[in-house]
Amino acid sequence: MRFSALLRKELRECLPWMLLAAIVFLALGGFFLRVEIHYRNPSWYYSRLSPGTIVESSLFTYYSILGIMGPLLLLSSIGLGLVLGIRHFWIPNFTRTWPFLLHRSVSRKTILAAKLTATMIAFVISLGPVWIGLYWYACRPEVFPIPQTPRVFIEGWIFIMLGLVTYLGTALSGLNTAKWYTTKIFGLVFAALVIFTIFPQCSLVWIFTVIAVSAAILLSRIFDTFLRREF
Amino acid sequence: MNEIVLETEALTKYYGGTLAVDHMDLQIPRGCICGFVGRNGAGKTTAIKLMLGLLNPTAGSSRLLGCDSSALTPAIRQRIGYVTEGHRLFRWMSIGGLEKFQRSFFPKQWDDKFFVDMIEYFDLPKKKKIKHLSNGQRAQVSLALALAPNPELLIMDDPTLGLDAAIRRQFLEGMIELIMRQGRTVLFSSHILGDVERVSDRIVVIDKGVLRANCSLEQFQKAIKKAILSFADSVPGDVNIDGLLHCRRSEKQLELTLVGTDDEKISEWAKSAGAENYNIVKMNLEDQFIEFTAPANHRRLFQWEER
Repeated sequence: MRFSALLRKELRECLPWMLLAAIVFLALGGFFLRVEIHYRNPSWYYSRLSPGTIVESSLFTYYSILGIMGPLLLLSSIGLGLVLGIRHFWIPNFTRTWPFLLHRSVSRKTILAAKLTATMIAFVISLGPVWIGLYWYACRPEVFPIPQTPRVFIEGWIFIMLGLVTYLGTALSGLNTAKWYTTKIFGLVFAALVIFTIFPQCSLVWIFTVIAVSAAILLSRIFDTFLRREF
Repeated sequence: MNEIVLETEALTKYYGGTLAVDHMDLQIPRGCICGFVGRNGAGKTTAIKLMLGLLNPTAGSSRLLGCDSSALTPAIRQRIGYVTEGHRLFRWMSIGGLEKFQRSFFPKQWDDKFFVDMIEYFDLPKKKKIKHLSNGQRAQVSLALALAPNPELLIMDDPTLGLDAAIRRQFLEGMIELIMRQGRTVLFSSHILGDVERVSDRIVVIDKGVLRANCSLEQFQKAIKKAILSFADSVPGDVNIDGLLHCRRSEKQLELTLVGTDDEKISEWAKSAGAENYNIVKMNLEDQFIEFTAPANHRRLFQWEER
């Protein structure tokens, strides 16, 4: 009952940003997908060109839907992670609501667990369904001329997970009371490094390992800081 | 002997090189209403946060309801009400939403009728969001939220700060509601000595992090007095009387602020100093507090309470 009250409160704080991320990703992602399907269609070009015109074949090269929407999904995910991290761990420093929240008849671990659970739910139910929907749409017959592999689908979820890593990095920086030029920046820099480390990798196992290890490091630092910090 | 519900032992807190609370030894017995007073920056908020385990002490310890403050269990927190400084609540929540949120942490002890009565008494609409409330209204919500779980110990950090006289009166009346419930203990910090005088039966004075007094309000009010001595010629150069806090001189008058000095001793000293006559002036609590905490050369330790 106490955990669910905390969870509801945290989810309610996430709600506007969840909706915004989902709407932006759905609107822009859907738009880019439609544009890609439409403009890379050779018949569309040829209907507008004089007969005999030579056209570069790269114009008709289709990419996977992640090639089209990957940057958008990554930006939405990182943006959501940043905003939720700020909402959960920075704003209470300014609104001075930490003492009211911490004087609950629950442990600090429970309070932190509620925040982390709410964020995971927020990511899964905001960007997840939109990604599944767009992938499903692209996989439908006669919609997209190249097949969408399961790897493309999994890579989309990796992008969403990178948003969670960003959230954890933002949370750690928000909780740290040191100066910016000292350890406070560590969380954000660490999250950025993880994102840059992921991109050149091809092996899914390697990518998942990097994400899992970095998330574990950030989580352990967050728990340690939150349990010991003064408010 | 009364049960001690709040206890600190050599509680000390440094912020970097700044000493905020200095070896505070405090004991608050069950069932008292304790005004915790001090000037701005005296260390009241720090002391309260240390007691509630929101800050870590540099040295010393504190215990609430028998539990160490640094390890307050959820079960102990459930027995303690806390009104934060500035009544910082979740701005996006409505009063009804906050009620629901708070109630879920006190499933057995939440007094729904009491909360509703208080909200109606303060004339607050439940649907209104916290961000749309005035400071005074937020204070009232904060008090109702803290009182409805019927806490054994209520700690309030400057709850009447920034409230106008009428709202302050209402707030204090709300607090008296709790006081009337037997065995409840209240510790509230304040700058407004009138409020302390109205509701407290005990006073704790903190000055520059140092605990200067912890006694009944009556004892405090009796102990601090001002004597005005008139002299025919000039005032004596050396004033040597027990309990002297401040000494102000004019040409033929000596104004002494004393702590814990008997009237008899004042009389004896006045005679020995050659005063024509002397007069003991009644002081209100605010004047007593100002004199007591004002910097002076003749400051002495507060010894009288040990007698």
